[in-house]
Amino acid sequence: MSTVTVRIPTPLRPLTAGADTVRVEGETIDDVLKTLGTTHAGLLERIINPQGELRGFVNIYLGSDNVRALDGLATSVSDDDVVSIVPAVAGGAARDRRLCELRAAIPEVTPTDAVQLQKQGAAVLDVREPDEILPGSPVGAYRLGRGYLELRVEDVIPDMNRTVLVMCSGGTRSLFAAEALVRLGYQDVRSVVGGFARWKNDGQPFEIPRVLDASARERYSRHLLMPEVGERGQLQLIDSKVLLVGAGGLGSPAAFYLAAAGIGTLGVVDDDVVDRSNLQRQILHTEARVGTSKVASARETLEALNPTINVVGYKTRLDSSNVDEIFTGYNVVVDGSDNFPTRYLVNDACVKLNIPNVHGAVYRFEGQVSVFWPAWKERRGPCYRCLYPEPPPAEMAPSCAEAGVLGILPGVIGLLQAVETIKIVLAVGDLLIGRMLYYDALRAQFTEFKFDANAECSYCGEGATFPGYVDYEQLCSASNT
Amino acid sequence: MTTLHLPEYARTDLEGMAHAGYPSETCGLLVGQQTNDHVEVSRVVQARNLNRERAHDRYELDPQDFIAADKQACDEGLEIVGVWHSHPDHSAQPSETDRESAWEGWSYLIVAVKHDGVHDLRCWRLASERFVEECIEPCPR
Repeated sequence: MSTVTVRIPTPLRPLTAGADTVRVEGETIDDVLKTLGTTHAGLLERIINPQGELRGFVNIYLGSDNVRALDGLATSVSDDDVVSIVPAVAGGAARDRRLCELRAAIPEVTPTDAVQLQKQGAAVLDVREPDEILPGSPVGAYRLGRGYLELRVEDVIPDMNRTVLVMCSGGTRSLFAAEALVRLGYQDVRSVVGGFARWKNDGQPFEIPRVLDASARERYSRHLLMPEVGERGQLQLIDSKVLLVGAGGLGSPAAFYLAAAGIGTLGVVDDDVVDRSNLQRQILHTEARVGTSKVASARETLEALNPTINVVGYKTRLDSSNVDEIFTGYNVVVDGSDNFPTRYLVNDACVKLNIPNVHGAVYRFEGQVSVFWPAWKERRGPCYRCLYPEPPPAEMAPSCAEAGVLGILPGVIGLLQAVETIKIVLAVGDLLIGRMLYYDALRAQFTEFKFDANAECSYCGEGATFPGYVDYEQLCSASNT
Repeated sequence: MTTLHLPEYARTDLEGMAHAGYPSETCGLLVGQQTNDHVEVSRVVQARNLNRERAHDRYELDPQDFIAADKQACDEGLEIVGVWHSHPDHSAQPSETDRESAWEGWSYLIVAVKHDGVHDLRCWRLASERFVEECIEPCPR
């Protein structure tokens, strides 16, 4: 048994009749404190909690060592050791005060009430960071991390009079975020008390949101900054399937940029091989691949640019026997053919399968682009046959091989096709539906011609039954190069 | 109501330490004597703030500094009569964190400090889990 000196801090001295030190016997710190407790009523309770553990706001030092860093209460003592009872001296100013002020200023709602308000039209805004929402986020919530809140919230919730219910993980950050929204001019902003932790515990509906991984976030960061794309739009691009008819002059630039944009599945139909004369405009291909399949060459280039996408090659000539099978499942078809048989086949299949057909054509210094989509939800659009019911005679339809083309021109038109494709996938903007955009490179002019759907069109007209595919191959001499 | 007697020199020391530490919270101890309703401060001691991560709005006084100050005070026949800390860019009102960590029997002196110096100095004492303000007077009895 050892005898030690226990130093008593001022606040506890009323319990030791004012003594600043007390001599106590014991073998461990625990013994010493318990003995102290029996000789000085009320003292032990101030130091040890009912579970027999050292209270959080007090430390016991043996000499200059905190016993928490030794063996805790089991630390053994020796004769003439000094045991100090050291009150934890702590505090602080700011956040608590700010929080109290915020709680007084920002109304709070329970998750249950938030769900009701959401049903009545309120917006639930989850301000947690992307990695925090991986385990779940309220169904129908807008997800906008706190970091970009002020910059982007007006794009997400443009109506300042709409009730906004801000939610974070525990209900604290949401108060700060709510205050920021009030400063921006939102009229009715409330904070969801307890955050997502309570939302989940209370059994309110949540979903596991699909999010981009870190690599995709970096690759598409410039898209993510745009309110018209954002994470939701980028996921739409990744989920979309676009078919390019032809990996030539129009298909090359379109495919290149669509791959870069992250279109998840790019189909490429082409039965041709790379010819040196293609390289003047068909930028997917290279000198080294002259004589190899255009589909394989396209795949190599596109996968080198963006290995995360899926390139599906169809090394075949599109015809009436395979068009249904190839087109089915694609969201958009980009027509890069330069011959009428294929153009009519693409049109007819797109009408039949309700697929938007992004049309492009080039001739020397001129090009044209339009979108044919009779099944467009916004308004009925024309098909190619509404404009040209039948193909022209072969002598009036020269191919590039016959007429020549400025190499850059299909670049311009192919990229306009790519832009329309992205707009279709994202459902943004005004599509080139019922409008033909003509580009005259020599005049450096774009001209637009409007045209309507033909109610009598044998393919897309009202009440028309699909008349079947027509093989124009014998009628036209143009080749698909 | 207890009265805290804070000599001018001690107040000057305190204000100097709080301002020098701005924008961090600074903390320390009040050494002196306490009798009934009177607390007489002989000197103010600065201690290290162990809370580095949030030094702008939190303090956690280094226990080693406490032990040293307590021992020295005892040797001089004095005692630790309270704690002081600064509130950078805030009022001298105690926060909820201050209240939760406070001990009865000590004076809690709070120094409201801004970039241009000390703006307020107020003292509090815990009674039945509430802070009651103490009167600060410049000279000892």
